[in-house]
Amino acid sequence: MSEKKQQVTRRQFLNYTLTGLGGFMAAGMLAPMVRMAIDPVLQESGAGDMANVGLAVEDITNEPQRVDWTITQVDGWYESEVTKSAWVFVNENDEIQAFSPICTHLGCVVSWEGSEEYPDQFFCPCHNGRYYKDGTNVPGTPPTAPLSVYEHSVENGMLYLGQPIPRGEA
Amino acid sequence: MKWIQQDMMTYKEAKDYIDTAVIPLVPFQLSQGQELKKNAFQREVLNLFAGEIERDLAGRVLLIPEFTYLKTSDRQVEGERLSSWCEEIQKQPFNHIFFITFDPAWKKHEQALAGTLIWLPAMATDSMQTSETHQMIRGQAQEMGELIRSYW
Repeated sequence: MSEKKQQVTRRQFLNYTLTGLGGFMAAGMLAPMVRMAIDPVLQESGAGDMANVGLAVEDITNEPQRVDWTITQVDGWYESEVTKSAWVFVNENDEIQAFSPICTHLGCVVSWEGSEEYPDQFFCPCHNGRYYKDGTNVPGTPPTAPLSVYEHSVENGMLYLGQPIPRGEA
Repeated sequence: MKWIQQDMMTYKEAKDYIDTAVIPLVPFQLSQGQELKKNAFQREVLNLFAGEIERDLAGRVLLIPEFTYLKTSDRQVEGERLSSWCEEIQKQPFNHIFFITFDPAWKKHEQALAGTLIWLPAMATDSMQTSETHQMIRGQAQEMGELIRSYW
């Protein structure tokens, strides 16, 4: 009996414990390094998120309508609620169009038929900038680029909008 | 446009297009306990208002940092201090200056101010979180934007 109890020698015991302890310490040092190395893979993509703007696709007409929605924007350590807006309509080719209302001149908010003198155009109240219905800036007015276009998708009959994509100069 | 680094870079490039300044007037006090909550809340709401106006008309309006003064102070003295702000602003080509405030004490000294005073009756709600409050602020801010545009 007593011989069986002595299966582990003092030398073996010390070897086991020291290897175990050393392995544990190595793991403790390596784990954060590994986590850091693969960090970009685990990062959530904040930009590609599409937001439900609370508008059913069947309610979109060929008359641009304004939709407002809020998203939570994280800027460094500062988290804030940001209101976003878009002008949404269906064009002649039955495609859904969602334009950013931000004037490409200096960033005012444009409105559809905002001026009685220019029906069927987007109008910027600040410096009388104008855009045609397809978002192209009217030559001779202050803006130098067309309105940005939102990425959009449709899920369960609801409209989802993502990021506004600027279009080049026209 | 706000008085922040990024916007000031745009401002320098496009100075000629920005001709309207909006200054929020904010009273500050700590000693009147029963008013404390109300005053602080009004400051929050006023900043929201200013932010909404700025968002709509960012390309022509410069939102000046809030003009803060002691609630108990003499408005005539504060008015003079405010005038020196306006002088500084008017050195640039600013044609329009608007003051927005919930403080009725300014109404009496309106004539001495170098711009247009927009006094708003204080709001009775005490929650900023509800979507109704946001809707209301949004709606009122739009009306104020309309007023500013009528001066252009």
